Amino acid sequence: MNSILIMGEFMNKVVELFTTPQYIESMLHGFLLTIQISYFAILLGILLGTIIALVDIAKPSKWLAIPKFICRAYTTIIRGTPMALQLFIMFFVIFAVKGFPSIIIAIIAFGLNSAAYVSEVIRGGILSVDKGQTEAGEALGLSGRTIFFKIVAPQAVKNIIPALGNEIITVIKETAIVSMVGMYDLNMAAKDIGSGQNMASYIVPMFVAALFYLATIYLITFIVRRIEKSLRKSDSRTGD
Amino acid sequence: MENKSTELIVKNLKKHFGKNKVLNGINFELHEGERVVVLGPSGSGKSTFLRCLNRLEEPSSGEIYLDGTLVTDKNIRKIRRDMGMVFQHFNLINNLTVMENLTLAPLKLKVMDKNAANKRAHELLKHIGLSNKADVYPASLSGGQKQRIAIIRAMMLSPEVLLFDEPTSALDPESIGDVLELIRELADRGMTIMIVTHEMSFAREIATRIVFVDKGKIIEEGTPDEFFNHPKTPRVREFLKKVL
Repeated sequence: MNSILIMGEFMNKVVELFTTPQYIESMLHGFLLTIQISYFAILLGILLGTIIALVDIAKPSKWLAIPKFICRAYTTIIRGTPMALQLFIMFFVIFAVKGFPSIIIAIIAFGLNSAAYVSEVIRGGILSVDKGQTEAGEALGLSGRTIFFKIVAPQAVKNIIPALGNEIITVIKETAIVSMVGMYDLNMAAKDIGSGQNMASYIVPMFVAALFYLATIYLITFIVRRIEKSLRKSDSRTGD
Repeated sequence: MENKSTELIVKNLKKHFGKNKVLNGINFELHEGERVVVLGPSGSGKSTFLRCLNRLEEPSSGEIYLDGTLVTDKNIRKIRRDMGMVFQHFNLINNLTVMENLTLAPLKLKVMDKNAANKRAHELLKHIGLSNKADVYPASLSGGQKQRIAIIRAMMLSPEVLLFDEPTSALDPESIGDVLELIRELADRGMTIMIVTHEMSFAREIATRIVFVDKGKIIEEGTPDEFFNHPKTPRVREFLKKVL
């Protein structure tokens, strides 16, 4: 009897959430912000992470000694401190300027954080390419540039894609902590819609927010798998 | 006259990895049309010797001349075109098809245009009976097929010298025959060859000269007959007793 009542109330809340334009709008608004932050943070992370990785694996030389040290220190610091703390430092110390758009700060914070992880993924991917592959290119008299772009990079990408997919997923979920600095992302929207009423009203929006995250990540996993599959065509032992 | 026929001169070549001295002063000459087989116990430095010749390993000291030109960091890429190399583990480029493996260097180094490179690659493939493999990736080939393709890949650039670093050590017995057959054929055509191998009977058959390396030094050299039948040093006698 009691459970039927709760079920009924739950269903009412579901209906309410999806029929109140203001709620749907809040949810979509939050979702959009989550996607925006994630998208640009990932772009920044991949760009910067690639640069860091390339500096890190380049042959040591006096020109690169300082950049190499900076890259090492950077990844160590970023990976050694909590993301939430980095976000706070960005918001309340580095960009504590009034009126500076918080979405930009969030993108920078997550982008810089992701770059450290992406650089490790790319570094590992490049180093895992068999040394014999490089030597074959060298023995043929090819330039370092040709060896990198025609031989090493295409094989490294195959190793990198799965781990990079993982990193993208991590960033999307991790952006939920922007609600800690008052930004209205998907996580915050769920909390906001449910607040000010009884406990049951929290359940539905949070459940729906979870579905939004899940669907997004499922989509990304699907895309990454497809890319992996198409990259694996040279591994096929069947002939062609 | 005699100068012209000397392809390669190695003077006092030394190589150490940290404190580990691998090559302790190698002096060596390779003449046009010669087929030198480098023998020696494992860890003697024979592979390192070969790899120093085209600077896959940077020599610690010493000089190498190819056709009278001192090999340096600056001209090494050009030198490598004239010094083909075949590896123990084949090292076909995994992400390229057989055809692309064969034509990559000629095209990138602009020694052939696309038509010429394709034509030559097809001829060589046909010659080794693998025409039907032109468009497959290396992963679908057997070891013997890979190594034979690796050999014709080195031939694409028409090098003056071909270096073989244990070309059959990673192969099954049946494929070894195919690969040796192809090397034999190159030898018959007058190719200048240097081989590091453990195939004693092949060494005896193909070599015009045997070089024995131990502890990073050449301690004996001579014709196969001299080397196998009348070894001069106790070290070689001991070695031959174990391997024959």
